[in-house]
Amino acid sequence: MSRRILTVDDSPSMRMLLRAALTEQGFTVFEAEDGVDALEKLESATPDLVITDINMPRMDGFGLIEALRSGHACAGLPILVLTTEASDEKKARARNAGATGWIVKPFDREKLGAAIRRVLH
Amino acid sequence: MSQMSTIAAMEMRRLTVAQGDSLASTDPDVLFTTVLGSCVAVCLHDGNFGVGGMNHFLLADPAPLADEGSHLLNRYGLHSMELLINEMLKRGATRGGIKARIYGGAKMREGLGEIGQCNIEFARRFLANERIPVLGEDVGGFSARRVEFRPKAGLARCKIVSSQPPERLVKPVPVSIGDVELF
Repeated sequence: MSRRILTVDDSPSMRMLLRAALTEQGFTVFEAEDGVDALEKLESATPDLVITDINMPRMDGFGLIEALRSGHACAGLPILVLTTEASDEKKARARNAGATGWIVKPFDREKLGAAIRRVLH
Repeated sequence: MSQMSTIAAMEMRRLTVAQGDSLASTDPDVLFTTVLGSCVAVCLHDGNFGVGGMNHFLLADPAPLADEGSHLLNRYGLHSMELLINEMLKRGATRGGIKARIYGGAKMREGLGEIGQCNIEFARRFLANERIPVLGEDVGGFSARRVEFRPKAGLARCKIVSSQPPERLVKPVPVSIGDVELF
């Protein structure tokens, strides 16, 4: 059975690029446009992994990680951050909040797939 | 955002937007400027918050023009546009308030193929997909352009640069693939 991934990004184009990259590697993808939308989607569906952007309206990636790690039903899910941000400070903030990994855009499809498979192993 | 007839450039701080750059500002004294051949620059402006930005890109691996889906998924173009939008949002712009203008994409000489047109099409399709309205374009043709943009006011001016020598073979600025780090 294919593993399910929730992608969270406010850019429809980036969600489209991610969907293409992940489905061609056998993953099933569903999408949310920001942290608030992601939490709503997670009420009715449980993925195997979350990939989230950082800079988003309403609730950013940090807020989503913190919400998921603080007693949410999906608290144990691996969360990969996929962002244009490369600063050590933000990376450390995500790690402290409970992120599983940090991937800087633009991403390579194979490297992204390899990271996901390693996390899901 | 409207086409301006004159720019008080003497008093402005001019910042050149080089290929690969994505800059945004709320400073009323800043003027973004660039010269385009087959490259494209997208100017974004949120009039509600006085935020403007400009990028300047050349797609590294353009898809055939007929291949609409792949065209939109160009990671280098997406990266340039995402950087620009993020710079806008960091300065207070909102996605719903952003409007765009597209410049450049000329065919500078025979043998360069449809590079310019590919860059234009990418910009159009990206902005449509992101639901960002395009207020105007000055694209295509066979001549270089100079674009000046006041980000705070959202005023843009585009001039054909007839004295521009034939474009050297422009190459995309390499965009390194981002690091992957598992904690």
